[in-house]
Amino acid sequence: MSEETHDWGKHKKTYLMVGIALFFFTGVTIALALVPWLDVGPPGPTPGDYVLGLAVATTKAGLVAVIFMHLNHERGLIYKTLVFTVLFFISLMALTLFAEFDPIREQYDTFETTNGKLTEQE
Amino acid sequence: MSAVTAEKNEETHEDHHDHYEPFWKKYIFSTDHKTIGIQYGFTALVFLAFGFFLMMVMRWSIAYPDRAVPLLADWPWFQAWLDDGGKVTGDLYNMFGAMHGTIMVFLGVVPLAFGAFGNYVTPLQIGAPDMAFPRLNMASYWLYLIGGVLMFVSFFLPSGAAKAGWTNYSPLATTTDLHYGDLFWTGQTQWLMGMVFLISSSLLGAVNFICTIINLRCRGMTWMRMPFFVWAMLVTGFLLLLAFPPLEVAAIMQLMDRLAGTSFFVPTGLNVSGMAFDAAGGGSPLLYQHLFWFLAHPEVYVLILPALAIVSEVIPCNTRKPLWGYKTMVYAVMVLGFLAFIVWAHHMYITGMGPAVSTFFQTTTVLISIPSVILITSLLISMWGGSIRFTVPMLFATAFIPMFGIGGLTGLPLAFSLTDLHLHDTYYVIGHFHYVVAPGTIFGLFAGIYHWYPKMTGRMMSTRLGHLHFWPSLIFMNGIFAPMFFQGMAGFHRRAFDGGKAYEQISSQIFSEPNTFVSNICEMMNVIEPDAPLRMIDLNIITSGSAWLLAVFQVPFIINLFISAFKGKKVESDNPWDATTLEWATPTPPPHGNFASEPVAYRGPYEYSVPGAATDFSPQFESDPASLVDEKEKEESSAT
Amino acid sequence: MEIPYEVTPRRDTGLYNSKLAIWLFLASEVMLFGGLFSGYVFLRLGVQDGVDNPWPWGLNVHKGYVWLGFLNTLILIGSSVGVVFAWVALKERNWRRFQVLMYAVVACAVAFMCIKSVEYNSKLTKHHGIKLLDNSVMEGKILDGTDKIRFSGDKASFSLQGALPIFLREIAGDEFPELKLETSEGEDAVTFTSKAEFKKWFYQARRDTASELAKERKRYRSELASGTENPAPVSVSTGATVIAAKPFALNGNPRTVIGHSDTTMNYRDGSKVDGTLTGDDVLFEIHEVDMQLVMPTKQRESLLWDVVDDENAKQEFFTKQHKYYETMRAYYEPRGETIPEKMLRGHKLNLHYVHVGGEHAEGHGSDGEKHKKGDAEHDGEEVHTSESKPSASKVEKDTGHHGTITVPRDKIKFMGNHGPRYGNYYAIYFTMTALHGLHVVGGALVLLYFVVFGKKMFLKNPEHLANRVEVGGLFWHFVDLIWIFLFPIMYLL
Repeated sequence: MSEETHDWGKHKKTYLMVGIALFFFTGVTIALALVPWLDVGPPGPTPGDYVLGLAVATTKAGLVAVIFMHLNHERGLIYKTLVFTVLFFISLMALTLFAEFDPIREQYDTFETTNGKLTEQE
Repeated sequence: MSAVTAEKNEETHEDHHDHYEPFWKKYIFSTDHKTIGIQYGFTALVFLAFGFFLMMVMRWSIAYPDRAVPLLADWPWFQAWLDDGGKVTGDLYNMFGAMHGTIMVFLGVVPLAFGAFGNYVTPLQIGAPDMAFPRLNMASYWLYLIGGVLMFVSFFLPSGAAKAGWTNYSPLATTTDLHYGDLFWTGQTQWLMGMVFLISSSLLGAVNFICTIINLRCRGMTWMRMPFFVWAMLVTGFLLLLAFPPLEVAAIMQLMDRLAGTSFFVPTGLNVSGMAFDAAGGGSPLLYQHLFWFLAHPEVYVLILPALAIVSEVIPCNTRKPLWGYKTMVYAVMVLGFLAFIVWAHHMYITGMGPAVSTFFQTTTVLISIPSVILITSLLISMWGGSIRFTVPMLFATAFIPMFGIGGLTGLPLAFSLTDLHLHDTYYVIGHFHYVVAPGTIFGLFAGIYHWYPKMTGRMMSTRLGHLHFWPSLIFMNGIFAPMFFQGMAGFHRRAFDGGKAYEQISSQIFSEPNTFVSNICEMMNVIEPDAPLRMIDLNIITSGSAWLLAVFQVPFIINLFISAFKGKKVESDNPWDATTLEWATPTPPPHGNFASEPVAYRGPYEYSVPGAATDFSPQFESDPASLVDEKEKEESSAT
Repeated sequence: MEIPYEVTPRRDTGLYNSKLAIWLFLASEVMLFGGLFSGYVFLRLGVQDGVDNPWPWGLNVHKGYVWLGFLNTLILIGSSVGVVFAWVALKERNWRRFQVLMYAVVACAVAFMCIKSVEYNSKLTKHHGIKLLDNSVMEGKILDGTDKIRFSGDKASFSLQGALPIFLREIAGDEFPELKLETSEGEDAVTFTSKAEFKKWFYQARRDTASELAKERKRYRSELASGTENPAPVSVSTGATVIAAKPFALNGNPRTVIGHSDTTMNYRDGSKVDGTLTGDDVLFEIHEVDMQLVMPTKQRESLLWDVVDDENAKQEFFTKQHKYYETMRAYYEPRGETIPEKMLRGHKLNLHYVHVGGEHAEGHGSDGEKHKKGDAEHDGEEVHTSESKPSASKVEKDTGHHGTITVPRDKIKFMGNHGPRYGNYYAIYFTMTALHGLHVVGGALVLLYFVVFGKKMFLKNPEHLANRVEVGGLFWHFVDLIWIFLFPIMYLL
C-alpha cells in the first residue's frame, strides 16, 4: 500500500483537520465541567455529566483510533482481533454490574439498597 | 513467501555454518526458539519437582499430624518453620500450600506446556525458520526466570514465602506479614513482584506466538492445514494475551495496597488482630476476586489446551488414522476459548452473588462443557477401529482421556451454585481440578516429551523405563486424587493442616465397614488396625502414601530423560514415528533456521492410511503436485 | 537465517510482523487499562454513603491544577499529531522534516512528564488531611515532621529472628547513637558506633540464634523419641536489648509504631524502645473543613470544633453549609423532588469548605511557600522538643496566613498527605496516571531511538524505518487515547 506516487497531501489535510478537531473537543470537555449552564442535572458531577463528558471523550478517542491509527482502512485480521478484545473489554467493565446489581435480588430485597433505588419503586 | 526471501534464506544458511557462536550465546542467551524451548522445559521441570516437594511436606502433616517431619527437621531453615516437636506448623502449611499452587500453575505447567512445547514445536509445525521476534522470545524467557527466582528466593526471606493461598485473596494477602519492618522484602510482596514479571513474560510470549502462527506459516500451510496443536497454541495465545492483563492490574493494585498504603481491596473499618487497620478504607475485596478470576479461569484452559493438543498429535500418529473431526475440533477449541472469558464468576458463588448473576454464570459454565466434550469425544473416536501402536507416548495419551474426563465430569456439581456452596473449598474441589491438571495435563505433557524427544536429541527414550514410569504413575495419581472426592463430599476442608484431626468426630465417618474388601486391603497396607473400620480420615494416609510413591516413580523418568540423550537408541530417520506433520521434515536435531530447504505444506496434517497411497502415512511435506496447484490458485484468489 | 515479512506485508494477511504484533500488544493494553477503568467504576459506584470516604470531585481535588491537566491534554494531542506527520514525512522520504517533528514529539513527552511531576509534588508535599475519630475531616498542611511521634530513647529491645528492627531506621539525624549491648555477666561488652557495625552483629546473632534453636529442638525431639517423660522444653533466648550511652532522638512513623505511651514505643515488628516521649501532637495549618461523613444533626457537636475551637470559623462553616442547602433546594424543589439523603449530608460543591482564620480569597497553590516564610519557627526546634508546643488548641490568627492548630494524636483516626493512601480516588489517580506516565516514558524512548539511530536505516531501507515509526506511532496514539479518557474522569468529573 506504499506506492511512491501516493498522494500524501490529501492525507496531511485530514490529519490536520482531525488534530484541530481534537483540540476543539478538549475545549468542549473542559467547558462542560467549568461553565455552570452546561452542567446537566443537579449541581456538581451527576450521571448526566458523566454521560456527556464520556461521550465527548469517546468521540475524541474514536477520531484518534480511526484516523491516526488508520482503523478506517485496516486489514480484516486486525478487526477480528479487536472485535474479541472489545467484547472481553465489555465483560471486564461489567464486573461492577455482576458484583453490585442483580435484578432478581433487588426485586425481593426489602432493604433499601445503597443507591436508594428501591425507594423510587411504586 | 516470495522467491527472493527464499533465496536470502539460502544465503544466510550458508553464512551460518562458518559463523562461530560462543557457548553463552548459543545455549544461554540464545534467540533460537528451540534452545529457548528447551530452557523453558528444564526450568519448568525443576519448578515442577520443587512444587511437588512442597506438596509432599504438606501431605505429611495431613496424614500424620502428630509426628515430626522425617529427614528434613534438622535443616536449620526448615526447622525454623516447624514447632518444637518437629511438626509442621500452620504457617508452614499455608506457605507451602500457597506456593505449591503458584509454582505448579505459573512456573511449572504453563511454561512447560506453552513455553517449552509451544516454542519448540510451533514454528517447526508451521514451517517457520524461527519465531517472529526471536529477541522478544528470549526476553520472555528471562522475565519468566526472574519471576521464578523471585518466587523461589522469597522462601528464604525472614517472613518466608507468600502464605495467603495461590489465589492471594485480599484483605488477607494485604495484611499478611505486615509486622515485618521492610514490607518490600516479605514473601507476600515478592509474590506480587514475581507475578508482575511472569505476566509480562506471558504477554510478550503470547504476542510472539500469535504473530508467528498468523504471519510465518510456510507456503501451502493454509489455516485448515495447520496441525491441531498449532490451533490450540493460537487459542492459548489469545487467552494469555487478553486474560492476563486484569491480573496484572490486580497485582499492581495489591502491590500499591501493601507498599503505598492504598486501600483498593481494603474495606472501611477493617480490623486486623484486634487493631483497626491503618488505611483510608472504602475498597472492595470482591474487586480483587473478580479481577483474579477473570484471569484465572481462562488460565485453566491455558493449562489444559496444550496438553490436549499434544495428545491429539500423538493419537493419530499412533492409531495410523486421521484425527476424527479435525474441523469440528478447531471450531470447538475456538468456542472454548471464547466461553472461557465469561465463566469466571463460578469460582465466586459463595461471595453472596445474586441469583440472576449466578444463573448467567451457571449457564455459561454448563455451555463450556459442550466444546470440551466435543474435543474429548473426537479424540476417543479417533482411536476407534485403529490398529493402535502402544508406544510410551501413546500410553500417556490414552490415559489422558479418561483422567481428563473424570476431572471434567466431577466439575459439573461445582458449576451449579446449589451444590457448589456445599463443596466449596473442600477436597472435592482439589480432587476435581487436580484430575484435570495432574493426571490430565501432566500426562499430556509426558506424552509430548516422549513423542518429541527423538526430534530434539536424535535418540529414542527407553521404552522399558517408560513403562516403569507410566504404570505406577497412573495407579498412584488415582490413589492420590480419587479418595479426595469422598473426603470432600464428607466435608473435609482443604485448609486444615492437620487433615481434619481437629474435627475428629466428624472426620471419623466410616468410609468402609471392617472386613470388607477395601478395609482388608488397607489393613494389609497398615493403614488401619485389624478389624477397625476405614474412616474418612484414614484416607489421608492412602493419599499421602500414593503421593510419595508417585514421587519415587518419577525417578525412572528423570533417569530416562538424561541417560537417553547419550545412551538411547539412535533414530534411523528424521521421522522415526512415521508422522505426517512438518516438524518431522527437519534434520535431527533441527539446526538454527530449522529446515534444510524451504518447506511447503502439500496436504492436510493428518493424512494417515490414505487409500491408494504407498505408505500408511502421507506427510504434509511430501509433494503432491495436483493439490499444490489447486492451493496456489486459492491463495492467489484470496489475496486479491 | 532471516525472518520473513519483517518489512513487506505478507500477501494473505496483508500485514508485516511488527504491525500485527503492536495491535496484539495494544489489545492486551486495552485489557490492562480496562481492568483499571473497571476498578475505577467499581470503587466509585461502590462508595457507601456515610461509611466510606466520599468520592471527591476531580475539580475540587485539583483546584488550580486542572489547567495543568488541560495543558497536558493539549500537549499529548499535539504530540500525536506530530507523530502522524513524522510518519508522513518518512513516507515522503523527507529525513529533515521527520527529524524535526520527532524531536518535537519527544520534547512534548518531556514537557508532559515535567507538568505531571509538578502535580504530583503539590499533592504529595503541600496537601494533607486529618480525619478525626468522628469522621470529620480537616484539610491543610501538616507542619514538617509533626506527623511523626517524637521520642527520646534510652533502651531498645528487639527480636533476633526476622528482619532488622524498625527503630534503627527512625533514628533522627545522621549520627548513629552509641549503643551498648546488654549482656549477662562475664560476657564481653559489645558497643556499636555505626549502623554497619550493628547490622553485621545482628546478622551474625540471628544466625547463632537460629542454630542454637535448631540444636535445642533436636535435643528435645530426640528426648521425645527416646520416650523421656516430659523432657525439658526448648528454651532459647531470641531477643536482645541495647542501651544508649546518651538518649537518642527518634521520629516514629505512625505507620510503623503500633502503640506508644509516655515511656515506651512499640513497633509493629515487636521491637520496643524505652525512654521519654517528647511530643506526639500534630501541628496543622488548617485550610478547609469537610463534614461529609458526619450526620447533619451531629455536625454542630462534632469533635472537630473541640480541636479547632474557633467560634467564627464554626459560624462561617454553617453559613456556608446553609448556602449549600439553598443551592440544592433551588434545584430540587421546583422539580417537586426531595433532596436526596446523601446530598443533605454530602456536598459535591466546594462550598462547604471554610478557611479557619484565613481569608477566602487566598489561593491554595502558594500556601506552602508562604508558610515557610511565616512559620519558620515551627519547623526547627519545635518538632523535636516538647516545651514549645502551643499551650492551647487555639487558632493563631496572625499575619494573613492560615491558622495553625494543635491536634492531639488520640483524636486522629487517619492522616496523611494527598498521596495514594489518602483515599480510593487518590489511589486510582496515582496508579493510573503513574502507569500512563510509564507508557509515555517508554514510548518516548522508543521514538527517540528511531530519530537518533534511524539515519542509517533511512538510507538503507526507508520503508523499514517508516514501518517502525508507524508501529511506534500506533503505541503513541494509544497512550494519547488513554489520556483522553483519564483527563475527564480524573480531573473533571
